[in-house]
Amino acid sequence: MFAFLIKRLLWLPILLNAVGIITFALGLYGPGDPVEVMLGPRSNPEAVARVRRELGLDRPFFEQYVLYVDRALHGDFGESLKYRGQPVGELITKRLWVSLQLNLASLALGMALGIPLGILAAVRHNSWMDFLIVAVLVAIISLPSFTITPILSYIFAVQLKVLPAGGWEGLLSKKAILPVIILSVGPAAVFMRQTRASMLEVLGQDYVRTARAKGLSSRVVLMEHAFRNALIPLSTIFGLILAGSVTGSFVVENLLAIPGIGALGVDSLFSRDYPVIIALTLIIASSYVLANTLIDLTYQYLDPRIRIH
Amino acid sequence: MPNRRILIILGVILVALAVMCAGIGAAVLFFSASAGVFTSQVPAVVQPQTAPPNTQPNQPQAPNVTPAKPQPTRPAQGGAPAPSGGVSGILTIPGGEPPTLDPALAQDSTSAAYIVELYSGLVTLDQNLDIVPDLATKWEISDDGKTYTFHLRDAKFSNGKVVNADAFKYAIERACDAATASVVADSYLGDIVGARSKLRGQTKDVSGVKVVDDKTLQITIDAPKAYFLAKLTYPTAFALDRQSVESGGKTWASNPKSAIGSGAFKLAKYDLGQSIVLQRNDQYYGTPKPTLNEVHYMLSGGSTMTRYQTGELDATPVGLNDIDAVLDTNNPLNKELHAVEPTMSLFYVGFDVKKPPFDDINVRQAFNYAIDKQKILDVVLHKTQLPAKGILPPGMPGYNPNLDPYPFDVSKAKQLLAKSKYAGKMPDITISVSGAGGTAAGSVEAIVEMYKQNLGVDVQIEQLEWATYLNDLKGHRFQMFGVTAGWIADYPDPQDFLDILFHSGSRDNNFNYANSQVDQLLEQARVERDQNKRYDLYHKAEQMILQDAPIVPLGHDVEYWLVKPYVQNMPFPPMIIPKLKFVTVAK
Amino acid sequence: MGLRRSRTLEFLGHFSQNPLAVIGLGLVLMMVLAGIFAPVLAPYSFRAQDLNAVNQAPTWAHPLGTDQLGRDQFSRIIWGARTALIVAPATVAISLLLGVIFGALAGYFGGWVDALVMRLADIMFAFPGILLALFLAATLTPRVDNWLKSVGLGDFVKTGYASFLVVTMVLGLVGWPGLARLVRGQVLVIKEEPYIEAARAVGLTPGRLLWHYLVPNALPPVIVTLSFGLGGAIVAEATLSFFGIGIQPPAASWGRMIIDNYTLWRTYPLLVWIPGIIVGAIQASFSFIGDGLNDALNPRIGR
Repeated sequence: MFAFLIKRLLWLPILLNAVGIITFALGLYGPGDPVEVMLGPRSNPEAVARVRRELGLDRPFFEQYVLYVDRALHGDFGESLKYRGQPVGELITKRLWVSLQLNLASLALGMALGIPLGILAAVRHNSWMDFLIVAVLVAIISLPSFTITPILSYIFAVQLKVLPAGGWEGLLSKKAILPVIILSVGPAAVFMRQTRASMLEVLGQDYVRTARAKGLSSRVVLMEHAFRNALIPLSTIFGLILAGSVTGSFVVENLLAIPGIGALGVDSLFSRDYPVIIALTLIIASSYVLANTLIDLTYQYLDPRIRIH
Repeated sequence: MPNRRILIILGVILVALAVMCAGIGAAVLFFSASAGVFTSQVPAVVQPQTAPPNTQPNQPQAPNVTPAKPQPTRPAQGGAPAPSGGVSGILTIPGGEPPTLDPALAQDSTSAAYIVELYSGLVTLDQNLDIVPDLATKWEISDDGKTYTFHLRDAKFSNGKVVNADAFKYAIERACDAATASVVADSYLGDIVGARSKLRGQTKDVSGVKVVDDKTLQITIDAPKAYFLAKLTYPTAFALDRQSVESGGKTWASNPKSAIGSGAFKLAKYDLGQSIVLQRNDQYYGTPKPTLNEVHYMLSGGSTMTRYQTGELDATPVGLNDIDAVLDTNNPLNKELHAVEPTMSLFYVGFDVKKPPFDDINVRQAFNYAIDKQKILDVVLHKTQLPAKGILPPGMPGYNPNLDPYPFDVSKAKQLLAKSKYAGKMPDITISVSGAGGTAAGSVEAIVEMYKQNLGVDVQIEQLEWATYLNDLKGHRFQMFGVTAGWIADYPDPQDFLDILFHSGSRDNNFNYANSQVDQLLEQARVERDQNKRYDLYHKAEQMILQDAPIVPLGHDVEYWLVKPYVQNMPFPPMIIPKLKFVTVAK
Repeated sequence: MGLRRSRTLEFLGHFSQNPLAVIGLGLVLMMVLAGIFAPVLAPYSFRAQDLNAVNQAPTWAHPLGTDQLGRDQFSRIIWGARTALIVAPATVAISLLLGVIFGALAGYFGGWVDALVMRLADIMFAFPGILLALFLAATLTPRVDNWLKSVGLGDFVKTGYASFLVVTMVLGLVGWPGLARLVRGQVLVIKEEPYIEAARAVGLTPGRLLWHYLVPNALPPVIVTLSFGLGGAIVAEATLSFFGIGIQPPAASWGRMIIDNYTLWRTYPLLVWIPGIIVGAIQASFSFIGDGLNDALNPRIGR
């Protein structure tokens, strides 16, 4: 177990380096240039060359990279190229916090709705309740966020005027209701489906049948055997959602004017603001690795048949 | 058995169809029931820098619009500062997140709009875009047109320090210091003798800038360029307090302690991503004295129309969604509508005149005649642009109102095309456009369809993401381009359009256009010191360029704003000028 | 033969017992038919504009109204089905192929193979897909266009339809790690099942073992995910359009229809709602089918 943990944590810097190098390479050799975007349609190769030199963008690839890593290790993630002079850390932290609150709240709401509904649907398999739960949740999650956001805003903000149409005043304000609901639909449906599917599978397995046949009450059967096993694929999904949630909400954030990380991320892509892009990439990468490590640990805890290396 | 199953499946498909129709029907009902109800939210889709405007144009014909003629500047009550008693003196408006507040770095309109309120320079633009004295009360130009001697007024920075000639020398040399990494210093200050060598790091100071005495500044430029003064209205040459800048570190300009300027307002608070608060600068020397105590810019964007209607905001730009409703005279909001004069912009279809088939003038002219601009602007762009007949926008000095070389004329277009050497064997044509940010490609598609219908020519659309588009544009890799990305003047001089876009030696001549006669006219106009003669030269050049047709001019941007009745004298100039000092709020 | 036939029947029986799955199948069939017979079914061309009749509410002439260029929404929806029909399965096929191969290898062999594949997946996953997509699209598009023109498919390029090749490749290449992880997780569990150990003891080669036992048994949850993936590919294509690198106009795609009309979402909501709801309906259908398949395929589910 400890060996595994240490192994995984040793992977982290290697992974972060790999991701960082790819991002740097795309920045250097990819289409578009941050200084050119600063200038807009006006071209001035001399000024571009000068500013690139001044910002260190013309140095050899590995020199730039090593410099960046060195600074990053000292907590300095550089300065934004679009918001000139602004330290990237400062630019990101506040927005990250907003996005994190939003996504964790949605994730919690999604789990709270999805898992019980999934169990209910599985226990009442093939009843009208099962169909209703599946039909409604899947229908809603299937609407792309490009669609569900304007539809819900149109109904609740424009027509009924019961919810504000956008903005952000913290998680505990009325303005957070619409985005949290919209963002929780996805996790809710995924959790519901996955819980239901795994539960059905587990319910059909011999040992559960045996347990039932032995006369154990159905609740004990559910909790002891079924629910526990049903969580195995769930944790995979959870990790994927967690990793995706940092970037996943950019449409919602954009439309509802929430100063989160999604809007900054998209903006930094358009303006080729590589210091910001790299920092965001590294944040996503580390949260992903940490989430996965946790998942693998849970795997082993939940199902001792799995050996982890 | 199998038959029954098939029947079930068929039945279910029918039911599904019915459900779909019912759902759509319900949506239709819901929609039509709600038509006429008007609330609003500006879509906050991220847009690249020169995304097409999403606001409404000034339609001179539209009877229900009262164009906001620039009001003659009314000095505030005897120059008295804050009015008191029942007047809040606070203006709350939406604003964009500025990439920078540093005058030396600003290259975009969002940043410049804040900076012109916080800092000031030797000269500025009034509401008619005439160049007027600001920190300099008067100036002399030497006989050879190369040396400008500015006489400064008695003025103070917001921290009480005197604005002297050194403040300008410092600002200019700082902007030209390679370490400042300004992308615009070359364009705005590059005419000054020694500026370029300073930019290249060859010299320590800019030899063309001389402090004669505390109140006298002498600037020498490399040639008698008539448009040089216009460039000094841009933030790059604004006065700075050396001590404040140097004490503030890299982020000095966004920190109220070190962001010290001589503008009508001073920075009171900058909450990244949330708000910017400006406060009246009591040291301000100019007229009128500002009457507002504070200006609050809300940066979070989003539903500005809704927030305007709930009274959270005192003014808001009108988004594409709301134009039709606001233009309706029955809408009470119509009375609060203000039209902005067309901005200093041109949207166009550009051709690379070296690439077939656009190396044939007949093809280019045919492409000019074959587009019904008015229709596209009215229908697809919701009148967000004023049709362009020539190249220069109406507010530009030297604008020629008598131009209209290419009215919509299909038969003429067909004749010209038949006359061209590509008649009947048209090569492949691709139009490249910047298509990022969910901005409507509608106008591009409408244009392409008109070419297909009216000329029988197929044009392929290639949408590129903004940074890629810029890269390819500057690399001259396009055959036909533009439409959603155009040209915006930084200073009100025809040179910034005609010379920069169409001189054969200009870097921004993306058309590969070269006409030695046009070049000659443009070169003459650069140094002509009689304004009228100069504009004549530009008229001639513009006509010749249009005749050669390296572009199809499409339109000039127009914006609409809603402003609460208690906000008075808000100017809507076609360029960025200091304007908050004119505004009063009587609430 | 007889046995197989009866199993097919049994499968169909289970499947058709699931009304949602049947509805979903019906909708998907409609999409497939609409896509195949688009030129016949659509009353108008996908690019025919009428600037005198823009943003119209539904009428008999235009059952779903017209868009901001006066194009018939109904016809564009039908042509969009053809786009979806090509992009979604092709994208998912690429992801599936890569995902199953990598996932199965990692799960089965464990050790350094597992570590290598999963670390690669980690990198792919941790990396913002859209950044890679931007890069791929910018580098691939001109090459693909030129290649198509050189083999005489210029018309395909001119109408914007060639861009799906690029879109498909981009989405497929970006989308495999999720599947790989899922397959690996499943294989890890199944590997320890008694029948696999028995098969191994009998001396089946790893390849046969993987192909005949592990992969099919790991498939049900993969199918569930895939059903989402098919719809997801349609949404992802819309996201690419948002960045200006999706299906090129004037080709009709549902994602494009949403993005292009987005600025009018409040005043002409139908322009966004109709393609949005259709995308939703199709994605839901794929999910329902996935559930139905899962129930019908999986012998271990209690009935």
